[in-house]
Amino acid sequence: MKDFLRTYRAIGFIFILTFTMLMYVNQQVLIYQMGLKVKENYQVYSKLFDHNKILVYNVLNLKSPVNLQTKLLAKKVELDMPHKWQVVKLESSPKKFVHKEAAKKGLFANLFIVGREAEASPSITGFAHLSY
Amino acid sequence: MYKLITPRIKKVAYFLVSLFVLLAVRLFFVQLGAAKPLSKLASDQYKTYFCLLPRRGIIYDHQKKELAISINLNSIFADPLMVEDKESAADKLAGVLGQDKDNILAKLSEDKRFVWLERKVQPKTEKAARELSIKGVGFIKEPKRVYPNGELASHVIGFVGLDDKGLEGIELKFDKFLKGTVGWRYSIRDAKRREVPGYEYKEIPPADGNDIILTIDSIVQAFAERELESAFEKYKARGGTIIVMDPYDGDILALANRPTYDLNNIKEFPVEARRNRAVCDFFEPGSSFKIVTASAVLDEGVVQPEEEFFCENGEFKWSRHTYHDHIPHGWLTFRDVIKHSSNIGTMKSAMKLGEKRFYRYIKRFGFGSKTGIDLPGEVEGVTRPTRQWSKLSLCSIAMGQEVAVTAIQMACAVSSVANGGYYVKPRIVERIEDKTGEVIEEFKPEQMQRVISEETAEELRAILRRVVEGGTGKLAEVKGYFPAGKTGTAQKIESDGSYSHRKFMASFVGFLPYDKPKFVIVVIMDEPRPYYYGGTVCAPVFKSVASQLMRYYKIEPAS
Repeated sequence: MKDFLRTYRAIGFIFILTFTMLMYVNQQVLIYQMGLKVKENYQVYSKLFDHNKILVYNVLNLKSPVNLQTKLLAKKVELDMPHKWQVVKLESSPKKFVHKEAAKKGLFANLFIVGREAEASPSITGFAHLSY
Repeated sequence: MYKLITPRIKKVAYFLVSLFVLLAVRLFFVQLGAAKPLSKLASDQYKTYFCLLPRRGIIYDHQKKELAISINLNSIFADPLMVEDKESAADKLAGVLGQDKDNILAKLSEDKRFVWLERKVQPKTEKAARELSIKGVGFIKEPKRVYPNGELASHVIGFVGLDDKGLEGIELKFDKFLKGTVGWRYSIRDAKRREVPGYEYKEIPPADGNDIILTIDSIVQAFAERELESAFEKYKARGGTIIVMDPYDGDILALANRPTYDLNNIKEFPVEARRNRAVCDFFEPGSSFKIVTASAVLDEGVVQPEEEFFCENGEFKWSRHTYHDHIPHGWLTFRDVIKHSSNIGTMKSAMKLGEKRFYRYIKRFGFGSKTGIDLPGEVEGVTRPTRQWSKLSLCSIAMGQEVAVTAIQMACAVSSVANGGYYVKPRIVERIEDKTGEVIEEFKPEQMQRVISEETAEELRAILRRVVEGGTGKLAEVKGYFPAGKTGTAQKIESDGSYSHRKFMASFVGFLPYDKPKFVIVVIMDEPRPYYYGGTVCAPVFKSVASQLMRYYKIEPAS
């Protein structure tokens, strides 16, 4: 009986020891995996951040008064600060244009009416100094 | 009975036991004696410091528009020992990098483990190089300083070197604020020297550089540069400078020089173009220095504005030297002496003042000392003490000879007249902010000592208004804004020490409106051709810039 218990204790001890070691290894693997994921995410963030910086630079480049001036002068367009009489000040902003038909027929009519307002959207292609 | 332990087994057992004993002894000594150096050796191999680079601060203009920013670009390197087919690799890389094939082949044939192939390449080039998948060719991210406005305010902003260290302008002067602090991480690395994630022992994050906000307004700078450029081209000048300054707080709104250079392509321009002439070059100002002479004589009360001087019909002999006026005049009031820029009348007024008092005013106006503007390379100019003056010096200095000044000194001197008599220190940096927007350092306007009385300043402003109204500076007139100023045309000195009759320094220094000045503008042209008079070459530049300034700041013209 004593031998039997001793054997069981030994097996139990070995089992716990093995389990603890496996747990430790698993924990280390998890730490590594998490670290790897953080690193990967950081790399993505860093890449996007750098990309953003380059795009910001391209936009600044396009907006730059000197570059705009050079491009306009190349096209023989000369700009100057406006005189007072050249500036028209509006009392309040004009009401948004609503198509007559759309106003009559409600919101869904907008989908079927030709002649929507044109909207300018920013474009960052063309003259960009740094391009992808 | 079959013998279990044979002598042979015994021998093997003895051998093994003694081997283990030896190992144990060795282990004992290793643990006892060599543990520390060995564990350090191992630790050095797998633990390391990873450098964390900070982002360089941004340089903004007064309106917080970016003038200098940093972006990260990849640099391409190679480990020549790992590149297998060097010939083919060089051929492929030459096509992508736009370099000479032999040049790349020479780099790949070097007996080194690391060679740069191209630093800070465009994303497109990097992508193409990656697609080649050449073994032994790698990529490292490096920060690159870029300037969205190219040439704009190049002499103010300056530039950085390949290692991101400031080399000129604000980039150099404020490098310690802009560069930030390098951080580091103590971590484990694998056999390929890559950082093992999740095993960081200690990390000190990098501190990004602070942002600098300048007093420069990029719009004012743009049109000041445009006008300077057009005059520089038109008169085929050797150089040119323009400064737009607020006379009350000393804020520099625009500062430009010609020739100039593109901050994004520095190598394509000669070194000569990088010199900030406004602070690094001194010149004899000629008649524009008469502002100082007039200030001194009026402030000391030795001359009254209506006092008359005989201008000797354009030729005046003094101490075996003959002085001339560019147009002969007879009797002129002091107001008209300045209006017509008579050398003889100005000299005679200075004689009433005397050397010592005159010198005191020259120093009070800040000549012969640095203005203290936050730009590198500022020079003091040349003003000799009175004990070194010859008999002719008083007359010569009164009309702007024998004295050398910088454009920024002239701007400060004129500001003193414009603001009612106070010397102001020029200010180019408004404040320094950290990344959260908190102000680290603020450079407040510094109004220093009084140079001349308010009455003198007022009288002088009225006299200078007459210069533009009907004197030598007529071309500077801006209708409705009443500018005032003084023209200057100085002969340059030839290599033999004599005054040149071919090379001139033209200038116009002025402000507007004359009664309540808002801006001081200094225009200088070095060796303009074929016209060389300040009133012909520089006054029109003043006029164009001044009229645009008025419209930009929405200042209504007087009816």
